[in-house]
Amino acid sequence: MLDILQYPFMQRAIIAGVVLAGLLAWLGVFVIMRKMSFFSDGIAHASLAGIAVGVLASFHPLTTAVLFSIVFSLAIYFLEKKTNLSSDAIIGMLFTSGMALGVVLISFKSGYQPDLVSFLFGNILAIKPLDLVVITVLSALIVVFLFYNHKNITLMALDADTAYLDGVRVNPLQITFYIILAVSVVLGLKILGIVLVSALLIIPASTAKLVSRSFKGLILKSIIISEIVVLVGIALSYYLDSPTGPMIVLVGTAVFFAVFSYKQLLSVVK
Amino acid sequence: MGNDKILEIENLTVKYNDHVILNSLNFYVKSGEIVAIIGPNGSGKTTLLKAILGLIPHQGCVKILGGPLKSALKYIGYVPQRFDFDKTFPLMVKEFLSFIKVANRQWREEVLREVGINAFLDKRIGELSGGQLQRLLIAKALLKEPKLLLLDEATSGVDMAAEMTFYELIQHLNETHNLTIMLISHEVNMVYKFATQILCLNKDLVCNGRPREAITQEVLERLYGKSILFQPHEH
Repeated sequence: MLDILQYPFMQRAIIAGVVLAGLLAWLGVFVIMRKMSFFSDGIAHASLAGIAVGVLASFHPLTTAVLFSIVFSLAIYFLEKKTNLSSDAIIGMLFTSGMALGVVLISFKSGYQPDLVSFLFGNILAIKPLDLVVITVLSALIVVFLFYNHKNITLMALDADTAYLDGVRVNPLQITFYIILAVSVVLGLKILGIVLVSALLIIPASTAKLVSRSFKGLILKSIIISEIVVLVGIALSYYLDSPTGPMIVLVGTAVFFAVFSYKQLLSVVK
Repeated sequence: MGNDKILEIENLTVKYNDHVILNSLNFYVKSGEIVAIIGPNGSGKTTLLKAILGLIPHQGCVKILGGPLKSALKYIGYVPQRFDFDKTFPLMVKEFLSFIKVANRQWREEVLREVGINAFLDKRIGELSGGQLQRLLIAKALLKEPKLLLLDEATSGVDMAAEMTFYELIQHLNETHNLTIMLISHEVNMVYKFATQILCLNKDLVCNGRPREAITQEVLERLYGKSILFQPHEH
């Protein structure tokens, strides 16, 4: 079992996986609380434009994708505030535009683009040392922010007016939350890819919700489930020689249905 | 009761597009009063509270404790008409209350006891009955140690017995903590008994004063139409 730890690429994969599993699981609780799944999915797709710019400019694509995701999240926030359009419509418009821009930009670069493919479908085994530095440093900063603002974010997610009246500066906090969510989603692209990254936000939190009575329990269980899913997914993909991202998603889905079935069984027995 | 003004409203107007919801309201509330806002549906009662709280754009001047709203926000407790949240969400009552910073632990215990929350601290907020949720929201508003408590139809969705208990609780909070209370109600008879000041609203301020003087058959007809018959209980 421990043989998979001897390779540096595997060590980087596991460190990145553990860090991102915890971060995305914590954020995922707020995502399902505020019904923001489409936001995270939209940001992931729109970030293709940032990745394309990085590939074209021969600059670190993860960094350019992070910067583009911040721009997209701010655009979503301001269009929500300044227009009478629904969030769904705004996100739908921006994410297709981001993807379209990405595809057009990529068409200027000829030949096979391995970096691009790894972003589209995820390749945790292609995490380079610089990727790991970006992932761990930004994740650490976001976790510190979440730790100090946990109560205010929860209150805001529950009801913005109540949060405002309880002294929370709702608008700056909401903008910051959009940015950290967008950045976290992009950090997860290397593991799961544009197409699958939202799974790590939604599946652990949704599974934990089935078996949690308290908010604290929900967050803890979501993080534990996410860590187990990612580690088992990486190990299975190594031993079965299959793509890591899809394997993580499939393990997550299996855990969800196992927990769901257990709950159903318990209710029948009772 | 003190004579200091806790709330002053001058020329308060609220419009949605060109539609006037509140038309140049002027009134003040002294510290220690129980103010009831009455009026038919769509008369602007909730809009008035939201304008006072700065939740919606408005014209005119709102002064709380002699200053602008921003500096007084920490002294205001608010219980909304509806608290829309995902009832399936696993959030316990004690966790919900822990989101409010409370400097005075003794005050926290006093609020939980007086409002009657202790019995269901370990319940999920989605499992609470209408009356329990109403008590939770009142307790949460009180934890801030407010000087002014605003309640928007806090008795909607609760039965008659719970409603009576609610008004007794309001009176108790007012008397023992000198809390100024503004509440919206449809129960004219109930507010006639418990309120010390009545504001009748129908886009304009139709009446303002002590209940016995402010609520007349003529005022009620202006608010609710000719069909209303008001028979106050004097006991």
